[in-house]
Amino acid sequence: MTMTDSPPATDTAPAVSSPAVAGLYDALTTTDHRRIGRLWLRTGLVGLLGAVVIGVLLGIESTDAASTDVFGGDNAYFQMWALYRIGLALLVAAPLFIGLAMVVVPMQVGSTNIAFPRAALGAAWGFMIGAGIMVVSVLAAGGWGATDRATGDERDAVALTLVGMGLVIISILLASMCIATTVISLRVKGMTLMHAPLFAWSMLVTAAVWLLTLPVLLANLVIAYVDLHNGPGTFGGGLNGSVDIYHQIAWLVEQPQVYAFAIPALGVLGSVVPVAAGVRAARHAVSLGLIGLFGLLAIGAWSQPFFQNDGAIPHDEQFLFIAFGLAAVLPVLGAMGGAGDTMAKGKDAIVGLPAAHLMGALGGGLLLLAGVAAGAVRVIEPLELGGSADAVEGIGTLAVSGVGNLVLFGAITAAVGGFWFWASKIGGHELSPMMGRLAIADLLLGGVLLGGAQVVSGFFDTVNDPRFVPTAEAADALAWISTAGAVLVALGALGVVAAIAGAVRRGPAGGDDPWGGQTLEWSTVDGVFTEPPALVTSEAPLLDRTELEPEVDSTEGEES
Amino acid sequence: MTATTTGLPSAEATRPRTVLVATMFGSSAAFITFAGVLLVYVRARATAIEWFDASSVELGPAGFIFATLILSIFTVQWAVQAINADDRMNAFVALGLTGLFGAAVFNQLWFIINDTGFTLNGSTAEFLFFVVNGTFIAFLIAAVAFLALTFLRALVGQYGPRKADGVAAAAFFWNTVVAMWAIAWYVVYVTK
Repeated sequence: MTMTDSPPATDTAPAVSSPAVAGLYDALTTTDHRRIGRLWLRTGLVGLLGAVVIGVLLGIESTDAASTDVFGGDNAYFQMWALYRIGLALLVAAPLFIGLAMVVVPMQVGSTNIAFPRAALGAAWGFMIGAGIMVVSVLAAGGWGATDRATGDERDAVALTLVGMGLVIISILLASMCIATTVISLRVKGMTLMHAPLFAWSMLVTAAVWLLTLPVLLANLVIAYVDLHNGPGTFGGGLNGSVDIYHQIAWLVEQPQVYAFAIPALGVLGSVVPVAAGVRAARHAVSLGLIGLFGLLAIGAWSQPFFQNDGAIPHDEQFLFIAFGLAAVLPVLGAMGGAGDTMAKGKDAIVGLPAAHLMGALGGGLLLLAGVAAGAVRVIEPLELGGSADAVEGIGTLAVSGVGNLVLFGAITAAVGGFWFWASKIGGHELSPMMGRLAIADLLLGGVLLGGAQVVSGFFDTVNDPRFVPTAEAADALAWISTAGAVLVALGALGVVAAIAGAVRRGPAGGDDPWGGQTLEWSTVDGVFTEPPALVTSEAPLLDRTELEPEVDSTEGEES
Repeated sequence: MTATTTGLPSAEATRPRTVLVATMFGSSAAFITFAGVLLVYVRARATAIEWFDASSVELGPAGFIFATLILSIFTVQWAVQAINADDRMNAFVALGLTGLFGAAVFNQLWFIINDTGFTLNGSTAEFLFFVVNGTFIAFLIAAVAFLALTFLRALVGQYGPRKADGVAAAAFFWNTVVAMWAIAWYVVYVTK
């Protein structure tokens, strides 16, 4: 007879189980981190679909801005363009990674639930309400100012956009607090931060960077809002709702701050690749350091007009900005190198077409690398891609947007890879591998064309503001290429949603550990730990257990 | 004969101080929001041709606020000490006193704002003076609300010597708000 030591019970309360009670009541009251995570993920997917549709429309308009009028006027064009740029970061990349983290991070660190599940749920609903206010107010001619100076009702709509954006930021901060606290306080015994799984670590770094920088954006919004209503007219909002508001907060979607929305992509990469290769990750501590360094270089709240002294050197020509731009390449390059090293060790395990999650993780990493490399080129001052476009001093060329798009689509592609990897943990489903490959290929190619063409367009002095029609002939051709990229990205997003919808319709399928995972989330059954996690002594506890099992088996063999 | 699996030992349950850790993150975010507003004030003052007259903002009342807040640091830490020692009556008195100091600070700040005679849509300097003080008031109200909630939870017995992190968290946030005023006092009222 074989007896297995049963572990002692713990006094941590498990997440509320997920019975078949569905509907709005459940969505409003659940404290199950997986359900809360799914709320975030659904919101992110809706945001993605909305963003790609706007992206295609913007592309069509940009191919012939002089005669085409998709949005019904310059003002609406500018507002949708601003919504696209800000929405891609705040309403797509952020909720996708927060959703993944809400589901995966507690399990990865051996916790039965997220810290403060009610706060996490409140944040999810606050985010949805804020995002709804943002989008509706932009459609009501609000946005971040008007090209013709907003008046009357438009001013109220502008104010509403600022309120909605504020609510979105507060919700992201609240969710960040929950995630960071989970990683700091709810790790299973033995799991030091040095043993933390890379995705959990990357989310801790991301949450820390968001907590350090997004409050500054909140301060910007407070000033602009008060100025818009009763102020003297000095701070963007006061200029009767001019587009100065947008240019004040654009630092959010420009380097280095835009990198903060892509930090978890490195975590997805570090989690997926060792499992796909079937080997222990090479140099875990170095990977932790690289992600931390990338987080440090993604702190960008200081590079904004409010902190710029009149007459001083523009912030994007200052040493710190250039150093951040150049240095950001190193951690991403290092992480990709680490992934390559790990894959080389386990090359025998990777045969045939790569799995969708591996494609997503590697592709997202490559796109991110392209983004930070373009960012490094953008800070080289003699190229004048930043704030010195011929037409408008201080706004910069389209390369600025291109860098943002490359980085954000890299992040989104990695998040989609994360969907395919952790699908069994998110909803107990198995996502179609072929659909995944197609969707991710579309996202990758589309992201390269969209962002890459914009970066190249910057060399032809195309201004990073839709009010200025490009004059160079090459810019027209590049606009077409960029539009083709937007269409591909839209197809990829549709493919992702279709694959998820198909999997949900088919119902739960696949095992709890379809890939032979190495971290604790793969030891859960239906997302719940059936026994307390084993003492963690390395970054790959399940691999440790597998390596110990032969001893156990041999003992059992001798006994029988 | 019985074979025993020699796998890894199971982990022990932990007693995490989640409320305190989360409050530290939240306090950092609050402090940075305030610092964001204050930096705009500093930058605007550095580049402004005209700023408000130094005599229009008196140092005295702002100093009284600072002194009151310094006192409140002691009372809030008294509450933490008392709850750790299971001295509930002292904890309630200390929390109540701290809240009272908060109300006093609000009152003094209201006086300052009225005393200056500034208007929100006046000059840039006056506008930013309002925004800095208004943001501080918002965080002060949040800190008092946090203390009130902690008071109520302590009243129903949710905090005690073995679980005092809620009181420590409220104290941490309170001290963060005091730190905000320390900087605002120097930047806005001393250096003007």
